[in-house]
Amino acid sequence: MSSEPIISLQNVTKRIGRKNIIDDLTFEVPQGEIFGFLGPNGAGKTTTIRMIVGLISITKGQILIKGKNIKTEFEQAIRHVGAIVENPEMYKYLSGYHNLVHYARMVPGVTKERIDEVVSLVKLENSIHDKVRKYSLGMRQRLGVAQALLHRPSLLILDEPTNGLDPEGIRELRDYLRYLTRTEGITVVVSSHLLSEMELMCDRVAILQRGKLIDVKPIQYFTEGSDSYQTYQIEAQMPEQAMAAMRQMVGIQGLKLSEEGLIEFTTERELIPDILEKLMKNHIRIYGVQRVRQSLEDKFLEITGGGQVG
Amino acid sequence: MVNLVLNENMKIYRRVRTWVLIGLMAAFVILGNFIMWHEGKSAQGEGWQSELTQEREQWSKQLTKPDLDEELEAFYKERIAVISYQLEHNIHSTQGTMWNGINESASLGILITIFTIIIAGDILAGEFSAGTIKLLLIRPANRVKILLSKYLAMLLFSMVLLLTLFVVSVLLNGILYGFNYIDLPLISLTDGQIVEKSMLLNLWKTYLLNGISTVMYVTITFMISSVFRSSAMSIGFSIGILFAGNILLEVLQRYEWSKYLLFANTDLTQYLEGRPFQDGMTLSFSIGVLVVYFLVFNLISWLMFTRRDVTA
Repeated sequence: MSSEPIISLQNVTKRIGRKNIIDDLTFEVPQGEIFGFLGPNGAGKTTTIRMIVGLISITKGQILIKGKNIKTEFEQAIRHVGAIVENPEMYKYLSGYHNLVHYARMVPGVTKERIDEVVSLVKLENSIHDKVRKYSLGMRQRLGVAQALLHRPSLLILDEPTNGLDPEGIRELRDYLRYLTRTEGITVVVSSHLLSEMELMCDRVAILQRGKLIDVKPIQYFTEGSDSYQTYQIEAQMPEQAMAAMRQMVGIQGLKLSEEGLIEFTTERELIPDILEKLMKNHIRIYGVQRVRQSLEDKFLEITGGGQVG
Repeated sequence: MVNLVLNENMKIYRRVRTWVLIGLMAAFVILGNFIMWHEGKSAQGEGWQSELTQEREQWSKQLTKPDLDEELEAFYKERIAVISYQLEHNIHSTQGTMWNGINESASLGILITIFTIIIAGDILAGEFSAGTIKLLLIRPANRVKILLSKYLAMLLFSMVLLLTLFVVSVLLNGILYGFNYIDLPLISLTDGQIVEKSMLLNLWKTYLLNGISTVMYVTITFMISSVFRSSAMSIGFSIGILFAGNILLEVLQRYEWSKYLLFANTDLTQYLEGRPFQDGMTLSFSIGVLVVYFLVFNLISWLMFTRRDVTA
């Protein structure tokens, strides 16, 4: 793995009028990483992505892709990038295949075989010669991925890639991105406002709010709670009696019955054996105990200081 | 660059509407020529010699009129000289031959301009409204090349229409009138001398002079597309300008500065006929004015297209 970052943003600022839409953004992404770009709508994710691919000019600072400046060495820098910016809008009046031919012609070295390879990769063999007009949203999304991968980019940029995909499609995309980073060493930058999506997809996450970078952290930081108090669930026979018994104990907070009939509560780790012992003494049969991982959503709200969006 | 033009061509010719326009072009030529042929058939009577003799007598009579305009006098004299030459050397007038229809068809060049505007208005602005511009501009081809490739593709498309006009009008008139006068020369008076010129060469000269106005309007359409990024606006505006321009020109003709207007210079055939829009205008003057407009329009398109953020 090379030590040089695939993409590096240095003090990137975008000013429109008198307002800094993006304010002094600095971060790097090394090779092979899936990097998440997280923030509420209007935080500046799309603007940043558009600056990375050269669709929007940079007011201050610079963006380097494999060491090439996107502004001054556009053609050399963009050569390494495959992207979907928001919805993958294709030429509806052309077939999927001709859309790919169109983009293949714009980069040297993309052969007919490569087009076929990418088509089978995204499983569009059966409909590739149909007009894009007839495609479903999921098929368009897959064609979008195909055009982004056509020229074997080192950096794949996906702006809200799960928009309009069904759960099956989202899972496919996720698996596919993992596959690409592992086998081809591709680097992925993906933006989303869906926190749960990022949790399953990314290695590291940057949190953006009102154009400012709040934090860049490995995903584990968000998913594994650092606090001593954690939320647990217990699956028990006769949950009502179990809860009655637990109410007599000290150190249990937020005791409630979840919709699935599980007992949910927050407590210290050290108290769990005591709770179980108490329940067994009361002849309550226990089928399972599990820790509820704090969701990215909770963590996100914690970091950004709660519900202020945009 | 070649690949970029191929791409633009693919986007033009793989659409039904393009072929509808080319078909319409052919249909208009066929319809126009057929009507002309049909009317000409009933009017034809005594043959071309007597018709020419009659015409010559008419011009001679006009010449005897007192206080004759100098320009008109020259025109009458030229016609008389040409007709005399034709009668003397037994050279058929274009009347009643395929060339009449073919030459008349050249005036349908305005349709080439309109149809090219329709495609040109969408080729750039359409990418913005469909959002495809984003995927187009994130390739290793800078925006200047993209703009240029679209421009070249438009010029090629107008050539396709022009060839349609040429081929259809030659074939149809050949079929209607017969091909026997295909090598008929064009007789004209140049510097007091009667010369025989190639009819075909003259036709293409007219085509290309008309083509200059097509190029100017395509340039305007590109400029509007680049500024407003809306197909409807650029097509509407450009065709509006095309028609309003001539009306405006009539109103403004009395002002001397009107000769600097674009519309006063787009029609270069005015010099072929020897009747410029205003006295003192020359071919080189018009070319100069056109070049300035051309550069300014292209500069605006270029700046607007390469500098502005893409937020589509």
